[in-house]
Amino acid sequence: MVLLSAPRWLRSRLTDRFWRVQEVLKYARHFRGRKNRCYSLAIRSVRRAFVKSTKARREKKRFLRALWITRIEAASLEHGLKYPSFISNLLKSQVELNRKMIADLAIYEPKTFKSLAALAQRRRQEGFLAALGDGKEPEGIFSRIVHHC
Amino acid sequence: MAAAANGPRRPPLHRPSQGSASASRRCGGPGAALPLPSAAAGAAMASYTKAAQQWATFARAWYLLDAKMQPPGKIAAATVMRLEGRHKPIYHALSDCGDHVVIINTRHIAFSGNKWEQKVYSSHTGYPGGFKQVTATQLHLKDPTAIVKLTVYRMLPKNLQRRTMMQRLHLFPDDVIPEDIQNNLLQEIPQPRVVPRRLDEYTPEEIAAFPKVWIPPKDFRRR
Repeated sequence: MVLLSAPRWLRSRLTDRFWRVQEVLKYARHFRGRKNRCYSLAIRSVRRAFVKSTKARREKKRFLRALWITRIEAASLEHGLKYPSFISNLLKSQVELNRKMIADLAIYEPKTFKSLAALAQRRRQEGFLAALGDGKEPEGIFSRIVHHC
Repeated sequence: MAAAANGPRRPPLHRPSQGSASASRRCGGPGAALPLPSAAAGAAMASYTKAAQQWATFARAWYLLDAKMQPPGKIAAATVMRLEGRHKPIYHALSDCGDHVVIINTRHIAFSGNKWEQKVYSSHTGYPGGFKQVTATQLHLKDPTAIVKLTVYRMLPKNLQRRTMMQRLHLFPDDVIPEDIQNNLLQEIPQPRVVPRRLDEYTPEEIAAFPKVWIPPKDFRRR
């Protein structure tokens, strides 16, 4: 009997179950209901949460760009310009700032944004003059294209 | 311009210059990864503590809008922008950055076309046979603020913050505003529609000076 029971006493048993469970539960602590406490419910919710988080990384880029555009629109309306004309005239003036930087400038550097808005407004006027002005007016200054080699 | 035209009852409100309102906006939205404020901020900013700057940036303002002879849709579009906070560069849907809007003279809104007779507002009391349909005229006579209120409610985003934003909307059918609201008002929103002058608002000299297409002879008689 002793010879048969020794292997039974020496079999390997899981000793760190607590920490394996905690690894999952730590991601579920802010959930609602029993799935923040009970492992079987939590593992399902945590898996779904991770899948949603992975898929949402692509949506986040779209969401943030829309937010930047809303903020730029608000700031440019303060200066009397609408967003489409602001962005298009900035691009025509070869100002290659992306929407993230322009939105941050609008919040933290209002004077810089004001000068950007003035630049876009001036380029807009030059565009109108070039289109409607019968060619008698001189070419615009901000309409000049600079070629960087 | 609209403030002065309304007569002595409402004094013109202070109109801050363009861009100065944005000078106080130096702090970002909720938890978004915004860069640190630049060290080259103006000298005026250096005298404020960070807490005071944050308070001033996210403070709620009160705006006034005169709805006299204005289409309710355009009124609602302007108010919804302010109620949501989309007129601020620090806008975020979750940061509760909307302002208060006070609309006066809602009794004198002006629908274009035949909408006073043709536009129908429907509702149901919940009881069988309780489907009610009223024209815009009937609703306006029953409650002069209801049309603007419904228009704004339907233009706001359909989320849980809509009710909060509606609580920040204040409608008055006439020029009369309570004292405490009047003391809060900061700025007037320009009217969306340019109101044309009526014929009796032109002076006889202007009418005489207006160019005529043709002058009928003295013995001209229509059939």
